[in-house]
Amino acid sequence: MNSERPRLISLRNPWFTASVGGTLVVLLFSMFVGFIWLPSAQNDALFKGLLDSICSAAGVPRAWLSETSPPVTPQQPVSSVVLTPEMLIGPDTRGSIGRGATLALRCTMCHGARGVSAANTPNLAGQYGPSIYKELRDFQSGARTSAVMAPMVVGLGDQDLRDLSNYYASLPRANSTSAPSAPDIVATGAPMRNIAPCGSCHGGMVNKLGAPWLSPQPRSYLKDQLEAFAQGTRHNDISAQMRNIARNMTPDEIDASVGYYAGNK
Amino acid sequence: MAQVSSADPHDSAEQAARIEKRWAIVIVGIMALLVAVTIFTGLHWAMMPPSRVETIDPSTLHVSGEFVESNLGSAVEANGSVTVRIIGQQYSFTPQCIVVPAKTPIVFRVTSADVVHGMLITGTNINSMVEPGYIATFKTEFDQPGNHLMPCHEFCGVGHEAMWANVKVVDKDVFAKMAANTRRLSCDL
Amino acid sequence: MISNKRLVLAHFWLAFGVFGLAILLGEWQMFIRSPLHAWIRDPDLYYRSVTAHGTVMGYVFPTLIAMGLGYAISELALDQPLVGRRWAWVGYALIIIGSIAAVVPVAMGLDSVLYTFYPPMIGNAFYYIGVVLVVVGSWIWVALMGINLHVWKRAHPGAPVPLAMFANVAGAYLWAWTAVGAALELLFQILPVALGFTSTINAGLSRVLFSWTLHAIVYFWLMPTYIAFYTIVPRAIGGRLYSDTMARISFALFLVFAMPIGIHHLFADPQVGAGFKFVHSVFTALVAVPTFLTVFTICASVEIAARLRGGKGAFGWLKALPWDNPQMLALAFSFVLLGFGGAGGLINMSYQLDSTIHNTQWITGHFHLIFGGAIVIMYFAIAYDLWPHLTGRAMLDLGLIRAQLWLWFVGMIVLTFPWHYAGILGMPRRMAYYDYTAPGMAAEGITVVMSVIGGALLVLSAILFFTVLYRNHSATRVEPAPFTFSKAVHEPTSLPLALNGLGLWVALMIVLTITNYGYPIVQLIGLHNADVPAVFVGAKR
Repeated sequence: MNSERPRLISLRNPWFTASVGGTLVVLLFSMFVGFIWLPSAQNDALFKGLLDSICSAAGVPRAWLSETSPPVTPQQPVSSVVLTPEMLIGPDTRGSIGRGATLALRCTMCHGARGVSAANTPNLAGQYGPSIYKELRDFQSGARTSAVMAPMVVGLGDQDLRDLSNYYASLPRANSTSAPSAPDIVATGAPMRNIAPCGSCHGGMVNKLGAPWLSPQPRSYLKDQLEAFAQGTRHNDISAQMRNIARNMTPDEIDASVGYYAGNK
Repeated sequence: MAQVSSADPHDSAEQAARIEKRWAIVIVGIMALLVAVTIFTGLHWAMMPPSRVETIDPSTLHVSGEFVESNLGSAVEANGSVTVRIIGQQYSFTPQCIVVPAKTPIVFRVTSADVVHGMLITGTNINSMVEPGYIATFKTEFDQPGNHLMPCHEFCGVGHEAMWANVKVVDKDVFAKMAANTRRLSCDL
Repeated sequence: MISNKRLVLAHFWLAFGVFGLAILLGEWQMFIRSPLHAWIRDPDLYYRSVTAHGTVMGYVFPTLIAMGLGYAISELALDQPLVGRRWAWVGYALIIIGSIAAVVPVAMGLDSVLYTFYPPMIGNAFYYIGVVLVVVGSWIWVALMGINLHVWKRAHPGAPVPLAMFANVAGAYLWAWTAVGAALELLFQILPVALGFTSTINAGLSRVLFSWTLHAIVYFWLMPTYIAFYTIVPRAIGGRLYSDTMARISFALFLVFAMPIGIHHLFADPQVGAGFKFVHSVFTALVAVPTFLTVFTICASVEIAARLRGGKGAFGWLKALPWDNPQMLALAFSFVLLGFGGAGGLINMSYQLDSTIHNTQWITGHFHLIFGGAIVIMYFAIAYDLWPHLTGRAMLDLGLIRAQLWLWFVGMIVLTFPWHYAGILGMPRRMAYYDYTAPGMAAEGITVVMSVIGGALLVLSAILFFTVLYRNHSATRVEPAPFTFSKAVHEPTSLPLALNGLGLWVALMIVLTITNYGYPIVQLIGLHNADVPAVFVGAKR
């Protein structure tokens, strides 16, 4: 075999020259067409000229937005929280939870001693940390308005908000009283109205980062929030992800989903 | 392995090789023709798949830049074209209802805030992947007014089956009237 | 003579066993998203099922078939006992372990990411590890095939490598190289995130790496089918292989052109430039060439069989073919399905036409037609041909076999043709349910119902298939005639170096991968501002 190998890779071997030569011709031709000829037909300045056309057709990143009107800035504050999966993971989670417990003393009046509320305020025990953190930041920035919460978060630093979130996330969830079977709007949503099953974001099937756990939350709180999303008076959901859902729900569907997640609360 | 040398005279093998060679030439010819058609349509209608590579950080779309919420939807540009900016996210497009004028050059700018999505507009050949980290830019034009569905066509999680948007193509004049009142248009409720 | 019958049988039975389970999942999926069933109330069950169906049908089933057939060919064609029998069992064990590791978390709902992975969605690490183990198990087979050929060549210097083994090793090398793309994606992108070492991933790069694997894998699935076309069917129907040389050239061309074409899956992607998309489109056109060569050679071989049986006339010889022979029937069905699937494929590979059907049900229809249809029907034929040699028992249920093949053929057409149509209407893939009452979607409901019926025929056919194989194990013992492969009209006495080994073709394959994939991959690796946060699925409840 060794003595034969040189003959395989040799210009005198017609199989070698034909296959390599043929492939090379096809390759060069297709590159010429794909990188130079076809781009030249494009009505776009960034494809004009040899170098531009080759670079653009090769996929070199560049700014493709030419002559455009300047961005429209928001009329009202929107959420500016950046959500990433490891956003709350710090070097000292246990310390963070401890500090959070201390800070949480100011919250007990409404949210209960262990994050389970007796009033019409959200239960925070076992809530996803990023969801709590996002709402606290939005209360601070004014993206989410609440006469009660706004003064509560004044003066809290970013680490305080993280500690609070970690603390409440660490508490055991309130028992959801035996869940009734889910109504259609919760289980299947309504695809053509762009309503996904609630559990595809709010836990149950999957938790979408930033979306809260809903079961159980107080009935009137859930209903108020859904309606506020539907009317657009609450607008701190990033890129309208919840308003898109809520404004397509009928009043009956809002009631049914609220009833399901509130249980008997 | 048995090495049956053919009892047949030499030329039957040669004849077979000749027929094969002819067939191979025909095949390569057919394929070359197909490629030629592709090149012709590519030149004649300036049709080319997306080639405008541009990156963007998906986690800060809502904070600053052209994909902030207030800048999404259709924008009329100085040259009369329309730029449509869309975000795909689990599990909706924003805006949910896209309104564009017919017979007008349109530039789509689409990106994803989380996972890989896709978009197609039924009844047209508009079809693009929507990937986090990249902006899909493509140019098109709608021939006539009409309503189209715009499903997400790439699996994006458990709620994928509910990710549908709508596209309304309206008459040029109607669109101009709508655009008189607002700088960014959509037909969201 | 197969001396490791248990090894081969173990591979085939495991392959068909998982195939049987996955086909049930497939039909269930069709049913629950058809108008015949109310919307499923836990859509995740649907996506789990799609993930399992795809993982089994795409990775486990065809790999096991290629391995089982490969071991059989190595012994039958080279006429030497398998070198590395123990390693073969190790590979087999890895595939079992990997399959279990992959499917269990999928069933638990921890990995509803589909078999195409779709980062930045990230599921439980065990799924990805399982897939890696399956691939590693198959790489042992790749190595063994190379080694066995090498051992034989040393013992027979200069002798022509039997065609079956040449093709078999070509398939093995193709798989070794094509699996590298997904392996890179899994090992360097997905697993580090799934195991918690990092939390960002470049989704665009992942898609490019996956396309490296996803198109060429089809030609790996196809290899056993083509081996059957060339080396089993002509013998089984009493003909001769028209041209041994053309067969070798076809396999060599598959090796070269199957690889550098995967970006045609990414025509609509924003992270790859149009230049590379065009280059891949042209090479995709070229990969049709070996298929056309095969169609010609096999039709000619079949004609020889017909004329030997007294067939006359320009087309009259078709009547003289042994249509009651399962191999003849399977071949004809496979060609018809390949023809339709290939025609659809020409549209997919077209730079511009693709945008009409990209990622719609058309695509699902296309690859079911090619893989489930043209390819799998020949897997059945291979099993029917090989089984008596493995069990030493007679294959008596010829009527049942013909019914099975007919059912599969009709079922596959009824399943996939409506899918193509729904795709043109714009029906997207992989949705747990559709609202068929919506305006603009009403026409799609009936197509899904038809596909459900097609799927049911396929399930029925699979049941018949298992019945035939199972009954064979208790049929009368026979001493089957020694297994032979097809003989060519002109058997080669000596071959040019290029067609007696794979060196040149493997080198071309690697070089073309570098020219066609090198720049996009290197460029995307450096594009750190396209690293995006992972989105974890199934972990938190």
